[in-house]
Amino acid sequence: MSAKIAIVGGGPSGCYTAQALLKRAPDLEVDVIDALPVPYGLVRYGVAADHQGTKGVARQFARLFTRQKAQFFGNLRVGEDISLDELRAAYDAVVLATGLSADRPLGIPGEDLPGVIGAGALTRALYEHPDATDLPHLGATPLVIGTGNVAIDVLRLLAKTPAELHGSDLGAGPSDWLAAQGIERITVIGRSPAAAARFSPVMVKELGELSRADIQVRHPAPEAEDALNLAAAASSGPLPIEFRFETRPLALEAIERGLRLTVETPEGEERIDASSVISAIGFTCDGRLDRAGLLAEAEDGTASRLYAAGWFRGGPTGAIPQCREEGQALAARILEEITPDPARPGRTLFAGREGIVDFDHWQQIDAQELAAAPDDRCRRKFARREDLLRPALPQDA
Amino acid sequence: MKIAIYYGTETGNAEMLAEDIATELEDAHETSVADLAETAPEALKAAELNVIVCSSYDDGDFPASAKPFVEKLNAESPDLSGVRFAIFGLGDSEYEATYGFGSMKLADLLVARGATTLGERIVHDAAGDDLPEDLALPWLAGILETA
Ligand SMILES: Cc1cc2nc3c(=O)[nH]c(=O)nc-3n(C[C@H](O)[C@H](O)[C@H](O)COP(=O)(O)OP(=O)(O)OC[C@H]3O[C@@H](n4cnc5c(N)ncnc54)[C@H](O)[C@@H]3O)c2cc1C
Ligand SMILES: Cc1cc2nc3c(=O)[nH]c(=O)nc-3n(C[C@H](O)[C@H](O)[C@H](O)COP(=O)(O)O)c2cc1C
Repeated sequence: MSAKIAIVGGGPSGCYTAQALLKRAPDLEVDVIDALPVPYGLVRYGVAADHQGTKGVARQFARLFTRQKAQFFGNLRVGEDISLDELRAAYDAVVLATGLSADRPLGIPGEDLPGVIGAGALTRALYEHPDATDLPHLGATPLVIGTGNVAIDVLRLLAKTPAELHGSDLGAGPSDWLAAQGIERITVIGRSPAAAARFSPVMVKELGELSRADIQVRHPAPEAEDALNLAAAASSGPLPIEFRFETRPLALEAIERGLRLTVETPEGEERIDASSVISAIGFTCDGRLDRAGLLAEAEDGTASRLYAAGWFRGGPTGAIPQCREEGQALAARILEEITPDPARPGRTLFAGREGIVDFDHWQQIDAQELAAAPDDRCRRKFARREDLLRPALPQDA
Repeated sequence: MKIAIYYGTETGNAEMLAEDIATELEDAHETSVADLAETAPEALKAAELNVIVCSSYDDGDFPASAKPFVEKLNAESPDLSGVRFAIFGLGDSEYEATYGFGSMKLADLLVARGATTLGERIVHDAAGDDLPEDLALPWLAGILETA
């Protein structure tokens, strides 16, 4: 069957869906469209710079384009550079796999004060996403709100010594920034009891192994064998990282040297002063697409020829393995429901459009980034959009 | 030779390697590729050689797709004497204390049911520079010379 399918979003969900589609039906025309000039979504810009092994899935995704004959259309934002309606008219099915990139707001007074930054924005800046804001000044005593894996990623990077970042792809700018923060203590607060925190035990164990970390747990949970208590017992570095559970943020105010957070704890209200606040309480839609309306339409794929995948569909919680599993299920469903119409133009829609980059373009960027890596890094990312677009420009002689 | 290739995977890397191995061998041998999740332990008796590619996850655990197979191995205690297998691990040396545990534990279980290992189990390190196929294909060629 040579049906034409457009997948919007080249992150893990989009790529695994494409992979499963082409595995089942190698003759499909599968096109992966991304707003960025480079593929792989959060594999490149969310998975931590010091977790290169996890990024290994990118090799599978590359094969989509080098062997399975999917095509990549990068630097094309659906809803802005091309309308979703145009796309839906051109393809037999459209899969929305655009993720959820906005930090979920704290929803408390003072959340927009200077010195408050979302973990999504912070990690985008650290990992040199082309649309990232500048890295903020965190000061000596940052406070992290949230106890999921993203919070732990942030803690780990803040706590690592420069030597512990060897082999990563953390850029020169972010590396210098980290070294210059002069962090003296980090407080982490979570609403849930310790036993219900979302972080995975392996992540906490890894945090406890860092040379500088000194994990402390205020009011340790009685089950002394859990990962956090073990990490607390194992770590004795110079940088205290204090976890406080059952602690709910109520309000933020600016004080002379930073921010003051009012929290509710089982013992009553308390105030915690911090030099900056990093909120890591999950992600939400940036509002550029009408998520609720589109998800409603996507429920009946036979009628709407519209499907949703990954974080955009299910919310900001699953990790990469779940993207794979769901991508396989979604591919099976699409192949059952799709009715190809040879009159639909598919990728010829993009013919002659300016600015689009293809997979060959990414391979050039990739090779250049790998070749430019300094000794203690595995890659040197191009940070600016113009640099990510450069190989597409006519080569200077 | 009739060679059955199985993979136990969490994020698909082992599946990709299993396919690479099949592609490499298919001209000279009769090959098949299957997910351990869809494999009964007794099925290993059908091939002259079983090649297993298995990753590790969460603190040295089996990857998701190997788990149903392991459960069957434990629950049904099949007699696998006569079964020959070579096993290749995928892992990450950043998980120092449990590096390659998924493939190691699976090998131990198979041996405990009577199966015989061919060659040394080796582990690809996701934190290193080698590509899995660059390690696995020569490894397997060496095993096939003696098999
Ligand atoms: C900081 C962080 C760290 C993480 N670390 C891990 C980890 O270590 N291990 C793990 O298993 N999981 C990790 N995860 C979870 C994992 O990243 C997600 O499960 C996965 O990325 C979700 O995939 P997705 O394809 O739905 O979204 P994304 O990866 O966000 O991909 C969405 C893609 O869509 C594109 N896009 C968005 N809007 C448009 C548009 N309008 N038009 C065209 N393209 C568009 C984006 O540019 C992006 O490339 C982490 C997540 C975060 C946030
Ligand atoms: C959360 C997580 C936990 C892991 N745990 C281990 C481990 O304990 N031991 C190991 O050797 N590798 C571990 N790995 C590395 C994987 O085995 C490796 O990335 C492999 O290539 C994954 O292959 P797969 O896609 O086939 O599952 C882990 C990876 C992740 C993401």
